[in-house]
Amino acid sequence: MSGDYKFDTLSLHAGHVPDERHGSRAVPIHQTTSYVFKDTEHAAALYNQELGGHLYTRISNPTIAVLEQRIAALEGAVAATATASGMAALATALLVLCSQGDHIVASSRMYGANINLLENTLPRFGITTSFIDPNDLAGIENAIQPNTKVIFGEVIGNPGLDIMDVEAIAKIAASAGIPLMLDCTFNTPWLLKPLELGANLIIHSLTKWIGGHGVAIGGVVVDGGNFDWGQNDKFSNIAGPHYAMDGINFYEEFGPAAFTAKFRAEGMYNFGPSLSPTNAFHILQGMETLSLRMQCHMDNTAKMLEFLVGHDAVAWVRHPSLPDHPGHELAKRMMPRGAGSIIVFGLKGGRDAGRAFIESVELASHLANVGDAKTLVIHPASTTHSHISAEAMVEGGLSDDMIRISVGLEDFTDIKADFELGFLAAAKKLKLKE
Amino acid sequence: MKHQLFDTNVHIATGGRTFNNDGEILVFIHGSGQSHLTWILQSRYFAYRGYQVLAPDFPGHGLSGGTPLDSIEAMADWIIALLDSLDVNAACLVGHSQGCLVTIEAAARYPDRVARVGLIAGALAIPVNDHLLSLSDKALSEAIQAMISWGHGPMGHMHDNTQPGHSFLGFGNQLMAANNQNALKNDLIACNKYKNGEDSASKIQQPALCILAEKDKMTPLKFGQQMANTLIRGQVTVIESAGHMLPAEFPNEVNTTLRNFLNETDKS
Repeated sequence: MSGDYKFDTLSLHAGHVPDERHGSRAVPIHQTTSYVFKDTEHAAALYNQELGGHLYTRISNPTIAVLEQRIAALEGAVAATATASGMAALATALLVLCSQGDHIVASSRMYGANINLLENTLPRFGITTSFIDPNDLAGIENAIQPNTKVIFGEVIGNPGLDIMDVEAIAKIAASAGIPLMLDCTFNTPWLLKPLELGANLIIHSLTKWIGGHGVAIGGVVVDGGNFDWGQNDKFSNIAGPHYAMDGINFYEEFGPAAFTAKFRAEGMYNFGPSLSPTNAFHILQGMETLSLRMQCHMDNTAKMLEFLVGHDAVAWVRHPSLPDHPGHELAKRMMPRGAGSIIVFGLKGGRDAGRAFIESVELASHLANVGDAKTLVIHPASTTHSHISAEAMVEGGLSDDMIRISVGLEDFTDIKADFELGFLAAAKKLKLKE
Repeated sequence: MKHQLFDTNVHIATGGRTFNNDGEILVFIHGSGQSHLTWILQSRYFAYRGYQVLAPDFPGHGLSGGTPLDSIEAMADWIIALLDSLDVNAACLVGHSQGCLVTIEAAARYPDRVARVGLIAGALAIPVNDHLLSLSDKALSEAIQAMISWGHGPMGHMHDNTQPGHSFLGFGNQLMAANNQNALKNDLIACNKYKNGEDSASKIQQPALCILAEKDKMTPLKFGQQMANTLIRGQVTVIESAGHMLPAEFPNEVNTTLRNFLNETDKS
């Protein structure tokens, strides 16, 4: 060991050392629900957190732990806990942080399910949210109330591609004594490590770029360990006595890993949003090539932008790396390797032309996912964001003609040819209308 | 638990159980720039196995208030004063790294107060190079990163943790960053100027266990063995592949070895 391992090495190795008995180089799939205790003392010790280890896969599992430790290593975090999906990660994290009567300040420009959870589901449990334009720093600061427990947003908003100023918002959160939690699905740790800019908690949908293959759903909550849960009386569920284990105080006993300890002891125990070990294995296979794929995603995104911006059929294109994007300078500063591989655009001819385009492309897949190795297209207003209100759509920067592309890893000349076919179909549709 | 000592608020981890000074008492003493969190996987383990555990944060460390102490001798006196304030007559002291120097000094100065000695990843002296001393003064985060990097062995750097989902390096960095800004610098200076190790260790009559790490870069194994050889009743266990932070990296091996030592020396 000659020093701290670098990102690409950690992507391949972190969290796993081949066991002495079998020597399996690949991470073994521990497809088991439970683990044989050595004796009754060992069993009790695991339940009482006197030892590290696994007692039941709803709480933790050796294959999943490798994935968690690898993510923690890549993010520079103290710990990570994997969940069945990105939404499971978000919902569980919020339910661990918040209680009835609490309040959240959230970006108004986010994935439809994130908005739905905050706008429609959590209020039924007495947890309310103020939605604020993520670029309105004063608005975010002013929205914080005495009962606000967290600021939440997406670094790169889905699908509007608004960029959050992580450093500035982290300072607002810190001065209010509350954590900043970010959905970092679109940026991955390869583009940005928000903990270094002061963010405290991170959510990923592992289904997307981190897995990259579209074969497994998964999520993770990453704990930066850089928030002092005992600095005020807002987080007595973490810095006060737990209801079990003789009233354990996670803040005192686990210090920087207090949130993770609480998340596992309450979130995983009581809600059970566990990832399947086999899915953890699949996601680990994807992580091994994260750097290679992200570089190719960025290269193809640059080519796609050049193609779209200069095309006669295209009415408008939005991406943070374009100079007319309001977050362009911020994105360039925060994410010098690129601002993600999602592009949104509109066709001349509006929604009907867009529909014709989506139905005509053959190589690009029309489906509800992003971050796959393959190029994907969708019409967000009628699909991924169709369950949010018309007002929220406007607030979120969604237009009826918007098409979202998740740029894949194909040879770009083939994607380009496929899109040309789609544009021809859109043009025909436009002519018929005339 | 919260405790007052010399007008300072002191935090003492008790392993999740209410402290009772009637029982057999184990005092875990942390190292340079560390806190009670060094002992996460020891304090709870021993507290639920019949021992009364005290894992204090030195002043200016962890959740304790106050100003960091400026010498190993002062730290040794402080530990004994802490025992006095809790009406503890004698205890087993277990130190890690700098905590070993404190343990050695306390056991030599106060032989009636220290029943047994545990020395984990320690040496008779811990000289600190000028570069690290300078970093601890002028670039604290770099000093912390350097110590966390050197402090962990292969398992730590591979993030292969007995606590599911945890990163040794990430945790270590945040643990040290949470201390008083002067804590690390003061501790390193205290280590650097401490010269009594050999003399004090040679006076210790109590049973002593040294648990050493094969891949220790901060207190290399040969210096740990020298420490064990100096102790009159010293015994030694070497944990293969372990780095300096072995209480976290190899908690099960440390706990079992220490527990066996306590059981055996009980019988003797």
